[in-house]
Amino acid sequence: MNWGQLAITVVTLVSILGVVTLVLNMQYGHAGLINFGVVAYFAAGAYTYVLLTQAPPSEASLDQYAIGLDLPAWAGLAGAAVAGLVFAAITGWPTLRLRGEYLALTTFAFAEVFHSFIVNEQRFANGTRGLVGVPRPYREELSFIDYDIALAVAALVFLIIAYVIFERIVRSPYGRALEALRDDELALVTSGKRSRRFRLEIFLFTAPFAAMAGAFYIWYTTLAIPDLFTAEVTFIVWIALVLGGEGSNRGALIGITLVILFEELIRAIPFDTIRAAQIAASLEVAALGLLLIIFLRWQPFASLTRAPKRVARSG
Amino acid sequence: MRVTQLIVLGLGTGAFLLIATLGFSLVRRVEGFLNIAHAELMSVAAFVTWYLNADLGWHFVLAAAIAVVVTAFIALAIARLIYDPIKHLGPPILLISSVGVAFLLHGITSAVIGVGIRSFQIPRLDAWNVGGVLVTPYRIALLVLAGLVAVGLALFLNKTRTGKSIRAMAINKELAGSRGINVNAASRATWLLAGLLAGLGGVALGVLGTLTTDIAFQQILVILAVAIVAGLGSLYGVIAAAFIVAFAMDLSLLILPGGYRPVIAFAIVIVVLLVRPQGVAGSRPELTA
Amino acid sequence: MGLLRIEGVSKRFGGLRAVDQCSFTVEQGSLTGLIGPNGAGKSTVFNLISGLYKPESGSIRLDGEELTGQSPDEIAARGVGRTFQTPRSFSTLSCLENLLASIPSSGEHLISSIFGTYLAEEKAATVRAEDYLDLVGLGARSDTPADELSGGELRMLEVARQLMRNPKILLLDEPTAGVTPTLQVRLAETLKELHARGLTVVVVEHNLGFLLDLVERVVVMVSGQVLTQGDPDAIRSDPEVINAYLGRRDGDAA
Repeated sequence: MNWGQLAITVVTLVSILGVVTLVLNMQYGHAGLINFGVVAYFAAGAYTYVLLTQAPPSEASLDQYAIGLDLPAWAGLAGAAVAGLVFAAITGWPTLRLRGEYLALTTFAFAEVFHSFIVNEQRFANGTRGLVGVPRPYREELSFIDYDIALAVAALVFLIIAYVIFERIVRSPYGRALEALRDDELALVTSGKRSRRFRLEIFLFTAPFAAMAGAFYIWYTTLAIPDLFTAEVTFIVWIALVLGGEGSNRGALIGITLVILFEELIRAIPFDTIRAAQIAASLEVAALGLLLIIFLRWQPFASLTRAPKRVARSG
Repeated sequence: MRVTQLIVLGLGTGAFLLIATLGFSLVRRVEGFLNIAHAELMSVAAFVTWYLNADLGWHFVLAAAIAVVVTAFIALAIARLIYDPIKHLGPPILLISSVGVAFLLHGITSAVIGVGIRSFQIPRLDAWNVGGVLVTPYRIALLVLAGLVAVGLALFLNKTRTGKSIRAMAINKELAGSRGINVNAASRATWLLAGLLAGLGGVALGVLGTLTTDIAFQQILVILAVAIVAGLGSLYGVIAAAFIVAFAMDLSLLILPGGYRPVIAFAIVIVVLLVRPQGVAGSRPELTA
Repeated sequence: MGLLRIEGVSKRFGGLRAVDQCSFTVEQGSLTGLIGPNGAGKSTVFNLISGLYKPESGSIRLDGEELTGQSPDEIAARGVGRTFQTPRSFSTLSCLENLLASIPSSGEHLISSIFGTYLAEEKAATVRAEDYLDLVGLGARSDTPADELSGGELRMLEVARQLMRNPKILLLDEPTAGVTPTLQVRLAETLKELHARGLTVVVVEHNLGFLLDLVERVVVMVSGQVLTQGDPDAIRSDPEVINAYLGRRDGDAA
């Protein structure tokens, strides 16, 4: 058991998916918006990154994809962020009126439409086969160190930046307004504040982070295949949020760490047969479902994630 | 001709969606939340049937009957153990919880069944050629079953005592309780009924096509589409909505590639929720004073 | 020219005329009561003023400005404060934060929230908020989350929240419902204090014993229309008013 490799994998995945979980925490944990389609930001960012940074599609290869601008990695990352913003704008604006389960269903549907598009439009990004071997940035420049470690560190830095920014928002009057929106929208409105503005802003501001995480995910896996961007990602992130005691950024990170650790430990077990590995993977899914149910009921970590102290006390 | 063929296809799809969604909408109406795990219950029923029928060699009807009953009780057990204790937390929490239940059921099912395609051991019946249009006897049977289910449910809800108490609960739970209606018994009946309908839906899935452990997920969005078009919680609306969605999906094959068929359902969800969230027959889910 | 002018306002729900050509004026700085039997349309009028319903006809003017047709948040921002029959609050926020969340803050913009430029403003607002909490008797509970408050405390919190906003007019919808007699006394004192400070207040109430001793003017509504207006003593002994209440066997005239 290569503990070093496991550690690098865990740190990388926790960082990448941790950003997505933080995004979900801002949207649901603080603003009370049930988003069942977060994977769409993630996927939009990932695919935009690939399409911007790949070399233009050639006649010779069997892969088909819409464009390939051969841009440098940082431009791809920026493009990914813009893609997230655009997707959030397109799907966020019409849903401003929706609440609760209606919002959940619409966000879910939008994400599935996007996923279907990626799968069915061969000419977009090679359909179900997807694009493999996406080049990792700065491969040659960083050949003197272990690339995996470098990527893990980069992802971790990204996570920390996102965390700091989101935490500052949460601890400010903005965070308070989000929670007020979640607690009683009518009371917020009759206090003279526009709930739609907060809803739209929080979608537009946080989505690019999840989209950039998608680009990091491409750097990590070098694979842009639709199977990696299904609703399962959305629900893994939801489970992580609930496990961590929904409602705080720190809780979100605790939750995703637990989920990733669980997954990677199972994956590290050497199984004798494919069937055994498949059973383990299936039971892992079942266990995650069970954990979600249990944690929703008993909220054991809720005490770790009390509402943030935010007010300057007088006297 | 192609259009007629697709209409026939749509009738079968509509019949299936009707059965599949009635149970879902019943739960929404009476228990007040969207049970995402409903589709997984269908999967459970399908695979129990498969196991008894194809693996153990039992007669299909016997296998199906047992599977349906088992599913009904699983639905009840899940409700009692998982949903009831957190009902006070509100429909959004129950919705999220049902995702957990779906994961749980999916994990167990795929662990037991494994990967690969399965099918029932049922007689291969040739399609009849009715004036150039192919009609499978199984599809006809499904249509008949759907009709029986709809009529049966209507009779049950309107003529039996349990059915009436379910209807009373659907209108106003507290009022029903204070009027002496046994809310617990009605709730129990609701879940058994929903499980039974899910069971029938699962069996129908296996009759119409082959089974993999992923079928449930593919179905849930279509079921959601039907439920939304009907107006969340409306049962009569489901009858119309099932066929509206089915025809939209199957007739789309005239202009779109087959892979996009489910997208029609998703697009319907989006359009309906943005334009008329109350569907065909429901009330507006907006801010109220 | 009063502070709040309601003229010819009508609203129907389905076939029912909840409010029918209702007209009255509320003078600046007055403490007015709005009474009437059940179904008279009092709460509907409040909902119309605060923008939760749109009237089919008529106009509602605050300080000369037309309110009809505006969204609830715009109307609130123009200076209309209201409380609800069931008190509304931000359940996971502390009492202090409830008040802070009710006023605009420069920290409610993304850039300033990230860079923390709101701190001085926040400190000043906190001082004001604690004053209002003291005024309504919740001074000791300022750090308590709202979902731990009793019903009466929630009501006082809601009043404090609206006061924090410095509204031009405060609409109170049945403030004594579910409130203990002791707290009712406190509520009455608070309202008198606010009146003395010059705040314009309109109170909808069923508890006439509470109301008629408190307000300086009363508007009586029956079946969606204004029946009569006057000072409390005149209203108390007005045979038409007594009839309106008694005639409906659900009068809870104290």
